[in-house]
Amino acid sequence: MAQLLDPVATRSRSMRSGRPVKRALTSRWAYLFVLPALLVFLVFSIGPTIFAFALSLFNWNYLNAAMSKFVGLKNYVDLVKGTRDPSFWSTMWTSAQFVIPMVVGGTVISLLLALLLSGNSPVLYGVRTAVFLAHVTPFVGVSIVWVWLFNPRYGLVNAATALFGMAPRDWLGDPKTAMFAIVVFSLWHEVGFTLIIFLGGLTTLDKTLSEAAQIDRANKLQEIWYVILPQLRPYTIFVIVISTVFSLQAFTQFFVMTGGGPGFSTATLGFAVYQQAFIYRKTGYAAALAVVLFALTAVLSLLQLRASRNTGR
Amino acid sequence: MTRNPIRGLATLLVAGSMVLLSACSGSTAGSTPSASALPSLDPSKQTTITFMEAMSSGAQQAALKKMTADFEAQHPNVTVQLQEQPNYGALQTKITAQVAANSAPTIAQVYENWADELSSSNVIVPLDEYVASSKDYKDFYSGIQADMKLRDGKNWMWPFNKSVVVQYYNESLVPKAPATWGEFAQTAKSVSKNGVVALSIDPGSETSPAGGTALFEILAESFGTPVFAKDGTPQFDSDAAKKALNYLVDLKKSNALALGTNYPGQTALGNQTGAFDVSSVASYPFNQKAVGGKFVMGVAPLPAGTAKTANQLAGTNIAMFSSADDQQKAAAWAYMQFLTSPAEMAYWASQTGYLPVVKTAMDEQAMKDYLAKNPWVGDVVKQLDTATPLPPVSYVNKASGALSTAISSAVNGTASVDDALAQAQAAGKKAASES
Repeated sequence: MAQLLDPVATRSRSMRSGRPVKRALTSRWAYLFVLPALLVFLVFSIGPTIFAFALSLFNWNYLNAAMSKFVGLKNYVDLVKGTRDPSFWSTMWTSAQFVIPMVVGGTVISLLLALLLSGNSPVLYGVRTAVFLAHVTPFVGVSIVWVWLFNPRYGLVNAATALFGMAPRDWLGDPKTAMFAIVVFSLWHEVGFTLIIFLGGLTTLDKTLSEAAQIDRANKLQEIWYVILPQLRPYTIFVIVISTVFSLQAFTQFFVMTGGGPGFSTATLGFAVYQQAFIYRKTGYAAALAVVLFALTAVLSLLQLRASRNTGR
Repeated sequence: MTRNPIRGLATLLVAGSMVLLSACSGSTAGSTPSASALPSLDPSKQTTITFMEAMSSGAQQAALKKMTADFEAQHPNVTVQLQEQPNYGALQTKITAQVAANSAPTIAQVYENWADELSSSNVIVPLDEYVASSKDYKDFYSGIQADMKLRDGKNWMWPFNKSVVVQYYNESLVPKAPATWGEFAQTAKSVSKNGVVALSIDPGSETSPAGGTALFEILAESFGTPVFAKDGTPQFDSDAAKKALNYLVDLKKSNALALGTNYPGQTALGNQTGAFDVSSVASYPFNQKAVGGKFVMGVAPLPAGTAKTANQLAGTNIAMFSSADDQQKAAAWAYMQFLTSPAEMAYWASQTGYLPVVKTAMDEQAMKDYLAKNPWVGDVVKQLDTATPLPPVSYVNKASGALSTAISSAVNGTASVDDALAQAQAAGKKAASES
């Protein structure tokens, strides 16, 4: 996670050889110092993850484990065949409808905001703080607030759209608009985080390159396109990967705002794991979904590491 | 030889996981009580029992605490620990987690479909022998007696907080409660103007069907066919179901119906942008608070349909867990009987708005006083003989969830009534076959 949060540090560490790490692991003191953190990690993260792998091979009775049956890969076969409601493939499509606008929209918006807000003035500081504040608000609390903003009878969103002559809509209750409404809310909440990453990236730019471009009479757009964006590449890759991982794992807004509905129109992969395990009580199948989510997340994290290394060369 | 600590750790975890699985496989879930002898409460032994419940706010919390304190005063050797949960969703999750961890409460509030799952997993005890020993059971309303049983015909639950659905209305807009659903539609359309939409409902979602779906289910039964057959088979595409959904669509087209979330009927009634709220009798104190004396709120039984006057029995029962020892079971049984005794039921109903499950509670002074202030309760309580609960099958929530989607789609105009109900029927049958 530390690597994920600091692409530059990742790059610099990865450029060193692995020998110091190997040497550290031969020391008994090293084990002693990391033991407390390792135990917590084992009990609350690694252990349950391995247990979830095991559960995915069972038709698991969550109330009485003695009545559970080993079914091998049946849960995975059901998953691939799409026999459950909602089917795995429709869940993946729903996830894509959330992940793509979150990654593309979030990256573009936060990059543009970063370019606009990267100066040093009290007003810009204030605006940056305001955008970031949305990200640190409690997710459940603001989700409930947005439920009321989208309320079809009393909501501010319909009041605002009415000014443009639009008829009131049941934003969260209509399958055509529910995902759009959640994406709008999620972007509002998440852009503050990616904005900070881009602002950090902008502070590391080599100013001499921009000065050279200006001497060569490049206009502002050309400077951004040919000079600034190439230098921001590791940060952009990091934002894309971290946004994809966060979006795949998103749960709270779906739980609070739509319950995965209407129908299954907002039941993404992350929500479907909860839905199958704790609503429909299909624990083994839910574990299989969780394994797939784990695999997707792991692949994306590896890609991010690979991309960070490549940009470091 | 070079040791690989990562590989060793992984091996240890996998092994630990397998041990855990096999340990779980070896666990037992307890046994059912002997048919010949019920456990008896030994007054010389101190016993503590736990009651996991969701009566965690307002009058419900205060009333249950007082009743529990009164029981403990009568049984000094018994301590009842109330394990409050904030809502029914959290209650179900907590029950599940504690049962899975072999740490079940002694008794808990349960819905009928939860009891079906719990009994299938052998973690609650059948109550037939207990029921046979009860002196109050014969005075329970017949709908309540039926609600205590699961599909196997055995009594698995003991009644507690039961309710039916009623219509709340703004008397300044609706002087007299409609007697039929036809009259209801006529009245709703006539008062829906100047910012008023007569009725707001929340159908809920696929995972959590809500009061709007219950209203649809009642309408379908009122028009001739309940949405579930007696054996639990979904019959969502019957003519009666189509009539019920067309009824709601017609109200929406006349601007007399709105869909919403978070008790929209109560909110609209309270802020005078609605004329009706159709919800449980247990909403009475909450609706009164929402209205806040701005107008007189009328309460009446649900209107009659073309086939019958239907209603849905709601609220939970109490189940006893098999992991309790005999002394705890005896204490829990004494407590459960105490809660449904006529005097306690009269107190409970008068404080919370829930209905008394035992007929003789109506003779208690507390209930007489309550009836004098709320005469509508007298008509409503009679429906405990005729109201029917949703079938006690584990898939009922998922199947009803499909109905909530059908209601939203048809009312919002994204699907025709026939298509919406056909899809719900297919989903309901699939849910039944997967259970």
